[in-house]
Amino acid sequence: MATETGRSRVGRYGEEFRELFSETWLGYALILPATILLAAIIVYPTLRGIQLAFFEASLLNPNQQTFVGLEHFGTMLSDSVFRTALWQTVLLTSVAVTIQYFLGLSLAVVLKEKVPGISFFRSISMVSWVLPIIVMVILFRFLVQVGFGPVNVIFGQLGLPTKYWFGDPDMAFPMIVLMHVWRNVPFYAIALMASMNSIPETQYEAAQLDGAGPLQRFRHVTLPQISYVSMIMIVLHVIFTFNNFDIVYLSTGGGPLGNTEVLATYVYKTAFETYALGYAASMGVVMLVIMLVFTTVYVKLEDTG
Amino acid sequence: MADKENKAISRRRILRGLGVGAGVTLAGCSGNGDGGDGGDGGDGGDGGDGGGSDGGDGGGTPTPTEAMMGGDDGGDGSSDAEILHWDAGLPSDEQELDQTITTLKEYFNERTGSQVQVTDFTYEDLRSGYLTGARSGDPDSAEGVLSHLTEYAKAGLIEPITEEAQNLEWFDGYVDSTIDAMRYDGEIYALPYTGNGRAFVYRIDIFDDLGLEVPETADEFLEVGRTIKAETDVTPFHNCTKDGGVRAFQEWMSHVYQHTDNLYVQEGDGWTVNIDAETLGLIFDKFYYEVWASDNPIANPDQLGTGWQVNDPEYINGNVAMIECGPWIRNWTSGPEISDSDAATDILDNKTGIAQLPYAEGGDFGTYLEVKPVMVNSNSDDKDLAFDMVATRCAPEVMNSMSDIDPGGNITPVHDDVESTLENENWQSFTEVFRNGRALAKIAWGPVRQEFYPAMQNVAYGEKDPYTAGEDLHSRLTDLESDL
Repeated sequence: MATETGRSRVGRYGEEFRELFSETWLGYALILPATILLAAIIVYPTLRGIQLAFFEASLLNPNQQTFVGLEHFGTMLSDSVFRTALWQTVLLTSVAVTIQYFLGLSLAVVLKEKVPGISFFRSISMVSWVLPIIVMVILFRFLVQVGFGPVNVIFGQLGLPTKYWFGDPDMAFPMIVLMHVWRNVPFYAIALMASMNSIPETQYEAAQLDGAGPLQRFRHVTLPQISYVSMIMIVLHVIFTFNNFDIVYLSTGGGPLGNTEVLATYVYKTAFETYALGYAASMGVVMLVIMLVFTTVYVKLEDTG
Repeated sequence: MADKENKAISRRRILRGLGVGAGVTLAGCSGNGDGGDGGDGGDGGDGGDGGGSDGGDGGGTPTPTEAMMGGDDGGDGSSDAEILHWDAGLPSDEQELDQTITTLKEYFNERTGSQVQVTDFTYEDLRSGYLTGARSGDPDSAEGVLSHLTEYAKAGLIEPITEEAQNLEWFDGYVDSTIDAMRYDGEIYALPYTGNGRAFVYRIDIFDDLGLEVPETADEFLEVGRTIKAETDVTPFHNCTKDGGVRAFQEWMSHVYQHTDNLYVQEGDGWTVNIDAETLGLIFDKFYYEVWASDNPIANPDQLGTGWQVNDPEYINGNVAMIECGPWIRNWTSGPEISDSDAATDILDNKTGIAQLPYAEGGDFGTYLEVKPVMVNSNSDDKDLAFDMVATRCAPEVMNSMSDIDPGGNITPVHDDVESTLENENWQSFTEVFRNGRALAKIAWGPVRQEFYPAMQNVAYGEKDPYTAGEDLHSRLTDLESDL
């Protein structure tokens, strides 16, 4: 029976693919160039990275490679910097994405309201998201410089303690989270607002007629219908944050005292400072696996939920 | 039939799955995915200072913001160029950049009758781009910093140019130490076009008011610092303690050079650490622990973890009395970091003195020598033309022309025929400091830097005893000997 089910499933896949194939020859022909291009710029480097993870290779002599099997993955287990970076990456991702989502959702609800001046506010709310990351980091760094940074100047005038927060072991990590949140909340808000706007007004009217209050309408009408967009936003931003390099590297370089070291910065340092291409690639593979597992499980849960 | 339809994998689901998969892959590949970031550049910029134009961690630019954004700097757009030159030592000011590129192209054309395309980079982007892409043959020539020269030479990515260089009519005029810095395994691999040494930069007026002498030793330096702290509102001293900041590494190396000619020396086929653990501990003690983490620090602990972005402007703004710095701050009197342009000009023109860096017990005068090389790609399709570009970039005539555009690059010229742009008498000591500078050993410095940062930060943040940190670092540096 199980075999039959398996066969029938394979058959169904085959049937579907045959139908797709026979009906959409022109479509495939049109997307072929883009597919080849994507394969060249994404698939090849990805496969090359995975292959490198099993070799000892130096950035200075990348063609001289020695097969080491799973040795790099064993090294990772005893690498305290890797463990710290992994933990901090997971922590940064969880905290930043959670805060971003809830703030983005709140902002979306506000932006959806038809009050005077909201369209202007909608326009400027995207500023932080469209700003290049380098500019954002320079801006934040400038704001908290001791001596001439506006935040510290104001703190100083108020008699509050001043500090270069990116250099404070206790404050550097929250500052990184803050930058992620500041940057991405508008993107969540706009995407969620667009999703909310696609919900027919009649559903709210029907719910209201049934006696549902604003919170109930939000819980039972809005939330279920923005869940797909929410899933996409969360998956994308978990991946973005987990892989993010530039915000951390440009603001703290992974310090102070390694308190903001994340996997992306550690991989970069391993490849470009200590020239250990193979080890860096193996860490990249671990990141890839973690993200694939997360995405698969999350999408599956969302589908069954 | 209905059941079959329900169980069937719908076309919509297949396409959705493919779409999500592609989206996830693209997102993963993009790293940040948050829209264009304009490139990195930034603080990790490898080295750099000198010409006051790099935006790397060497500081040295009146507009670091602009310079740090240089990931996508583009180029000069020459479509008929026969060779490609990458350069991170160009001015950050757009007008000066255009003038410089035009000058280089004109001189190159005059010399060869050919065209060159000059592309502006940050040091960090240039280095990573060159290490990963030079095997393709592009660029034909590249500017860089000394540690790049070693890396590229080890990777077989640059061409020895000993004979061609020595045949240049102006070759003998290069300052000896700068040409020595261009050698690797006995061969010349590059020509220099700018250089400087790290000096002790201090406020003459504060020293005069308090009757202080310029310190020669570390103990005198700390005593002077504590007097300034007790008698004035100015922070006595600042040095760079940022993780990954190349300037922090260069400052530390300056103090290492006060105790040894080089951190590593070649023995047979390998390299050996050339300094003992106690001396490393002593350097940490006098220039990091006492400065930042002791009971009576002479720096402001709230500024821990900062780099040149704080170090240089804080001095120029009059908030710090002493720093370790190169000559690039000479003309930095405007920009968002400068709170009062007139006051900054007054400090730099009339209240700044230059001296040799103070040294700890058992040491002597010595400092980090920054010399910037221009190199030929060993994979270039036209190495002769590539060498002509190197010769153009490093010709005394061109260097003199550059002085009009960007005076910062020739404060301490690397060639006898180039006139120094240094007119202020108080700053003349930079010339002496420069000539006493020591160039980096020809090893791959990346792993050494990675060991230095945590050791230094542990001391500066008071997490580790300086002598224990010195022993630990010595042990790690010894472990690296076989990898260099």
